Amino acid sequence: MTPGPGRRLIPAYLVTGGRSAPTGPALDRLAVLLRTDSALGPETGSEQRRLCELLEPGALTVVECAAHLELPVSATVFLATDLVAAGHLHARPPIPSAGEIDRSLVERLLVGLRSLH
Amino acid sequence: MALIAVAVAIWSATRTYQARREAYGASARVELTERQAKAAEARTLALTEEIRQLARKRIPAAATALSHRSAPVPGLREASGIEGDAARLLTEAVQAARTAVLEERGRVDAAARSAMRGTSAKIQSLLNQSQHLLHELQHEYDDPRILQLDFRNELALRRTQATAVLCDAWPGLARQNSSLVEVVLGAQSRVPGYERIKVANHLRQERLALVARAAEPLAIALAELLANATAYSHPDTEVPVTVQQTAGRGALILVDDAGIGMDDDALERARTLLAGPSEVLLTELGDPPQTGFAVVGRLIARYGFSCHIESSPYGGMRAMLRIPAHLLTVIDDDRTLSVLAPKPVRALPTEAADAAPGAAVEPAAPAPEAVEPAAPAPEAVEPAVPGPAGTAGASDSASGEAAPPAGLPTRRRRSRRAASPEAPADRRRTAEEEPGLRTPERAGAAWAALQQGTLSGRNAPATPPQAPQESPSDDQGDDET
Repeated sequence: MTPGPGRRLIPAYLVTGGRSAPTGPALDRLAVLLRTDSALGPETGSEQRRLCELLEPGALTVVECAAHLELPVSATVFLATDLVAAGHLHARPPIPSAGEIDRSLVERLLVGLRSLH
Repeated sequence: MALIAVAVAIWSATRTYQARREAYGASARVELTERQAKAAEARTLALTEEIRQLARKRIPAAATALSHRSAPVPGLREASGIEGDAARLLTEAVQAARTAVLEERGRVDAAARSAMRGTSAKIQSLLNQSQHLLHELQHEYDDPRILQLDFRNELALRRTQATAVLCDAWPGLARQNSSLVEVVLGAQSRVPGYERIKVANHLRQERLALVARAAEPLAIALAELLANATAYSHPDTEVPVTVQQTAGRGALILVDDAGIGMDDDALERARTLLAGPSEVLLTELGDPPQTGFAVVGRLIARYGFSCHIESSPYGGMRAMLRIPAHLLTVIDDDRTLSVLAPKPVRALPTEAADAAPGAAVEPAAPAPEAVEPAAPAPEAVEPAVPGPAGTAGASDSASGEAAPPAGLPTRRRRSRRAASPEAPADRRRTAEEEPGLRTPERAGAAWAALQQGTLSGRNAPATPPQAPQESPSDDQGDDET
């Protein structure tokens, strides 16, 4: 998959199986993927199997899976949505970045903690 | 006197007789000449007719027959009284015209091929550049339309490349030794309707590869065969492709389709092309030109594999691409195969059986199971996977084969920690810690140990710190503090 000196041999679009968009809800590149307990069928493709094996030890984001599989994120999304639809994976939307902390809440918490002593 | 008179009479009689004879002879000569002149005229007429036949019928028909084999070529006219020599010369004229047409056709075809070769080389290099750009874009942006664009580009590249091959160009790409299965997938990706192509890997050696010089030519040839199979079969049918090794250390790729098949004429023509003729003329390919088998034939003639087509048990045609042993090799273990490459059919169950009962097929709860096989039977795992993941437990050994190359960001602690196996004791410790990463009790214990340590450090700075956190590993501590 790396662009070597010549032409790459296997293009990433093979994963899409000729579809123009993934079937199912769109996945963000930071969406977290989790393996479920379902067993993979014998007809599971090697790339889907590999993705499931990657997630065996724990959760990974889509973009991390893409890096491990050496595929573009767009192609990995196809794989992941298929597996989510088949019930082999859970997808969790990315955790939103932390906003400004409410100062008054923290102060109240501090007061509460002090009053415990 | 009388004597003289008699003599004169005799003389005159003789003269008369002679004259009469001469007159008779003359008239006979005239008749003969007239007859000869008539015959000559008839012959000239016949010859003129023959020449007319030659100019208007025989030579044009001979020229047509060069491109349409079934077209009839008329011979001499039946009623002609042409003798041997003229007839032979007339036939020679047809031959000469034929040769001239053939030579001219060869020249024109060569000029056309050379022009197309130049153009397709230029287009090919441009398409290769756009492929590079698309590849970069794919890794930068998540829009799936870039994948589609890449596919269109690949289709155009295949057509251009096939044209170039047909025009005697070099395939235009140097590859390294390439895994046979990857080459098959590469060929698959160049064909419209590639999703219908199902590749079954029946290789005994997973890393069987093509030598560098044969990799791209085989990909081109196979892509043409696959394009035929998908184009001439119903869009709802599958196109099964089987990759297998033959007894003679060669390899065989079978392409089946459930299509419409071929009639006898087409089959014979295709077999002629697949036999690898020394020259294929563009003018012989029909209109629109059917390039598939011609391209395969050109590559066969140059690279030494072979192809045979016959009726398929699936209903359509079966193409068999045979790769001789001298074009095959085995690639190094350090080259990771693409994730998309299908695993050998036979290897799948054995791998699962080797590693652990639940590794690949039932990954339900690998953590508790991992403790058992790792410690008592590391040798059962190691031969299967010589890599660093060999001792890490069931699920890792199954995935270890295609373990990610070092340097990528990874959250998987198991395979990294297993990279330094030293003693059985270490292995056991590793194995015991693994579940700790997951269970809340373990995590709680680790935090408690930290807290306790901090507390004891604060309370008694003089006393030596007790170290209950010895058993948790270093990098666990690293992560937590």
